[in-house]
Amino acid sequence: MKKGTPMMFAAGAQPLTPELRELVGEATRSLARLDADRLEELAVSCRALNRSPLLFDPQKRMELAHQAHEAAGDMAVFARVLEATRTNLKVIKRLREMRSGRLEYREQPETAKCALVLIEGGNGND
Amino acid sequence: MSGALDADQAALNVVANNVANANTSGYTEETPDWQQNAAITVNGVSTGDGVSETGATSQRDRVLEERLDQQQQLASSSSTRLAALQDVQALFTPDSGSSSSTAGDIGSDITKFFDSFSSLEANPTNDALRQDVLSTASTLSGDISNAAASLNSQRAALDQEATGVATQVNSLTSALAQLNQQIQSTSPDGDAGTLEDQRQQDLSQLSQLIGINQVTTENNGLSITTTSGQTLVSEGQSNQLTTGTVNGVTDIFLGGADITSQLASGGGQLGGYLTARDTDIPNALSSLDQLAYDISTSVNAQNNSGTDLNGTTGTVANPLYIFNEPTQVSGSAAGMSVVMTDPDQIAAAGAGDGTGDNSNATALAGLASQTIVSGQTPANFYSNFVTELGATISGVQSENTAQNASVTQLQTQNNALSSVNLNDEASAMTTFERSYQAASQVFTMLNTIMASALNLGEQTTVS
Repeated sequence: MKKGTPMMFAAGAQPLTPELRELVGEATRSLARLDADRLEELAVSCRALNRSPLLFDPQKRMELAHQAHEAAGDMAVFARVLEATRTNLKVIKRLREMRSGRLEYREQPETAKCALVLIEGGNGND
Repeated sequence: MSGALDADQAALNVVANNVANANTSGYTEETPDWQQNAAITVNGVSTGDGVSETGATSQRDRVLEERLDQQQQLASSSSTRLAALQDVQALFTPDSGSSSSTAGDIGSDITKFFDSFSSLEANPTNDALRQDVLSTASTLSGDISNAAASLNSQRAALDQEATGVATQVNSLTSALAQLNQQIQSTSPDGDAGTLEDQRQQDLSQLSQLIGINQVTTENNGLSITTTSGQTLVSEGQSNQLTTGTVNGVTDIFLGGADITSQLASGGGQLGGYLTARDTDIPNALSSLDQLAYDISTSVNAQNNSGTDLNGTTGTVANPLYIFNEPTQVSGSAAGMSVVMTDPDQIAAAGAGDGTGDNSNATALAGLASQTIVSGQTPANFYSNFVTELGATISGVQSENTAQNASVTQLQTQNNALSSVNLNDEASAMTTFERSYQAASQVFTMLNTIMASALNLGEQTTVS
């Protein structure tokens, strides 16, 4: 490759794979459908990308900077989805706390109702 | 023993009911409730404390369902607003490859109009060039007034949609009030099963239409208010929305009070329609009005100050106006038109100069680079208007994507709660937490990579 030629435009050059924008989009979609396995794979990929020696190549840096500009909007969407997920998770956690609290501390009525939910209180899931 | 067998049989019936309704929309799985029997004491020895099946409880969780409803309201509002904004944007998209005049060509119309004065500078007495000035003026005014007419049509269509949604809201709140009555009379202390499913379905539909808050009341009742607090349903009674025309659009009333602005920010389709109708389209119209007003008044004033081919200079009584002179900004776009019919009236010459002079044509052409529209040149003003419209759409699009993702997550969790056993629910919770944690890691790392890439990229570019 000629010196000074940005890698993204050079014929036969190996691009950074995957594109940042695709990566962000994939993470957003996976988070929307709570695909934990896929998100964990993506986390591994990002960790690898973060440590990649390719990033020390000035031309790769240029390419990455270009990709970062392109992905900025998608990153904003990802941040919003992450924020919504955090709120949803808080709601779900509080629900579970409420339920487990009720099960553990509620006074048993004389004729105890043994709905299936009570079984859960004793099996360690909470 | 027979009691236990009866209980098992009853529980099997509940399971069978679940299986039979597995594909029924809105059906919530039920679990059998068991009641401990009193022990039988014979000669001081207690035996047999078995169970009886006492009914079924739906595996619903109101808090989760309410959170889901709230997110649906937001998603529904932004989807509706986004669709309306995209219609507006389509109007201002340049018409590539077609010779027909459209609103999307306003940017190039502005350039061509002022360029026609530049051409006239070179040969100020040329009839064809004079005719070209009127022709480009006519195209510009036609495209601006057509754009305003299209925006007004879109606004009228949104107005009708909003009215239609208000009617649907009334129908649903009536149904919900009836369901409340039934539920309160038949199941004041427990889960009302299919009736409650029906009520939840109606609430979900209502959440698509309008922003609401739900308040659980005594005896398994439910009150529903708008997000700003006006009561739509109070247990067995519903309050109907009414409509009335205010300033040319349909406003929505509840109990005699105009609640249109509160509904616009409240969510649901109605919120989206009203925001687009009362904020987005008026903003676009306002920009067009400003553009039309400032171009018309500036060009008219400049032409009026020169001398036309007949040697006439404009006066108050007999002005030399190219465009219809607007009296106020509002409505200027819709009313923009060319009033000059004789190209000889174009005042290319300066006041007091001979008809062969071109100084006023130069001044007219120079308006293109003067900040005559709200402190910007006409072309820049229009360009910024289109850019701002695009940025608004992009923002609403992001909002909508995030809200839809949130709805998907909550539906997944709600399905886990309503449709599978409790162990699976715990598993779903774990998946939720894993997803959030992994996504947080992905976000943090991507953020770091992007931030450092941008810094490094800039440094590399500068050096």
